Amino acid sequence: MMNSDFLIALPFLAFSGALMFLVPQFSPRRYFFAITVPAGFRSGNEARAIARRYHWEMAIIVACCAALAALLSNRWPDLTVMMAVLLPLLSGFVLFLMARSKVKLHAAAISDVREAELTVEGDELPRWTVWALPPFAAPVAAAAYLARHWNQIPQKFPTHFDLQGNANGWSTRSPQSVYGLLALAAGIMAFILLIGVGMYYGARRAPQRAAVLKMLIVTIYFLALIFTQVGLLPLVQISTLWILVLGVAFSIVIVAWSFKLVTDPRMPSEVTPDEYWYLGAIYCNRHDPAIFVQKRVGFGYTLNVGNNLTWLLVGGFVAGMIGLVSLAK
Amino acid sequence: MPPAPRIRIDLSSPVPAYRQIVDCVRVLLVEGALTPGSQLPSVRRLAMELGVHHNTVGEAYRELAGEGWLDLRHGRGATVVSRGAVPSASPERLQDYRNRLRNLIAKMRSEGVPLAKIAAELRSLTEGLK
Repeated sequence: MMNSDFLIALPFLAFSGALMFLVPQFSPRRYFFAITVPAGFRSGNEARAIARRYHWEMAIIVACCAALAALLSNRWPDLTVMMAVLLPLLSGFVLFLMARSKVKLHAAAISDVREAELTVEGDELPRWTVWALPPFAAPVAAAAYLARHWNQIPQKFPTHFDLQGNANGWSTRSPQSVYGLLALAAGIMAFILLIGVGMYYGARRAPQRAAVLKMLIVTIYFLALIFTQVGLLPLVQISTLWILVLGVAFSIVIVAWSFKLVTDPRMPSEVTPDEYWYLGAIYCNRHDPAIFVQKRVGFGYTLNVGNNLTWLLVGGFVAGMIGLVSLAK
Repeated sequence: MPPAPRIRIDLSSPVPAYRQIVDCVRVLLVEGALTPGSQLPSVRRLAMELGVHHNTVGEAYRELAGEGWLDLRHGRGATVVSRGAVPSASPERLQDYRNRLRNLIAKMRSEGVPLAKIAAELRSLTEGLK
């Protein structure tokens, strides 16, 4: 029953499961399952009972997913990995909504008082944002290296691998197939930078803005590393396992970093009315001029889909991604 | 570095948000917390911070500019300017302010605030104004 595909799926399952398991703790103190609660509620008996039940149910879900993965991994290894990631997330989301409906009965009233500093300090991008630019040199350097060694690139080179690292997809040598991925990488990195800048200007002032921008810049560095290695595939053999391990390690770092920030009492949480939050994760408030608002679960920002400007940005983003993918193909 | 002056509005108050913004900013201007040359946040930024429509902040800034407190330049936000000589309020205006003060004092007295406390509050608020 236990085979290598199951062992590969297991860390993904553990990661997804752990993420959903941490949901009750993974939010600012004033929120519990994305509902505004009175001060001290989270350490009370009612909240503990709700969290305890959620944790038990989540543990059962993860155990069932592990059993399912063990059964399926032999026949459908790729599907098993996808299921190992998605099933805990989807089931955990259902459990989250069930717990949220119980917490709603204890929701706290939100003050209608708003304050603002009459200053322009902190409205401009921090100077350290320029550190987002050096990683763009990586795909450019990789492209230059490939161009220099063009004749050494095989006419047919592997571009897709299975979980065991065996090639199961090939491309023929052409500028598009050789440089396409690197162009896509640079485009994705640019998008992430634009999202970070947009978030900085489109969100209310808070220490979270700078923290998220730093996180996005670190992500750009990570993507430059991964994409450059994969981009050199026409010439250099790389280990699939190494890419997977790097990906999981980076994800763990980001989650741990986010957890540390979200539970930091020095990080003030933004006041947004409960009635404009749907399913605990979607904020739709056409009266709020902010494009980005702080998430109630996890660390970071989410879009205010009630703001018309948000849709303009989303439209631009989607058009840009379609253009990039077409370029890469 | 001294903390930046803050304003506070109540979105559930019957007083319109733009009026609350004007009154809060005017208090800071009169008390000297905002001095000529101070740069105020842009209309869009302040609207976002307070959670109100940008027209609300725009209207507040225009009213303060009309009173001579602010210089509004498109793309450069609002800057506090020196007002220069201000004509004295008319007798009718003065009478109106007197009536309002009278009403406020009556309300405070009816809620049990001692006369001496009211006088001390008025004194401390006016001392230090330029």
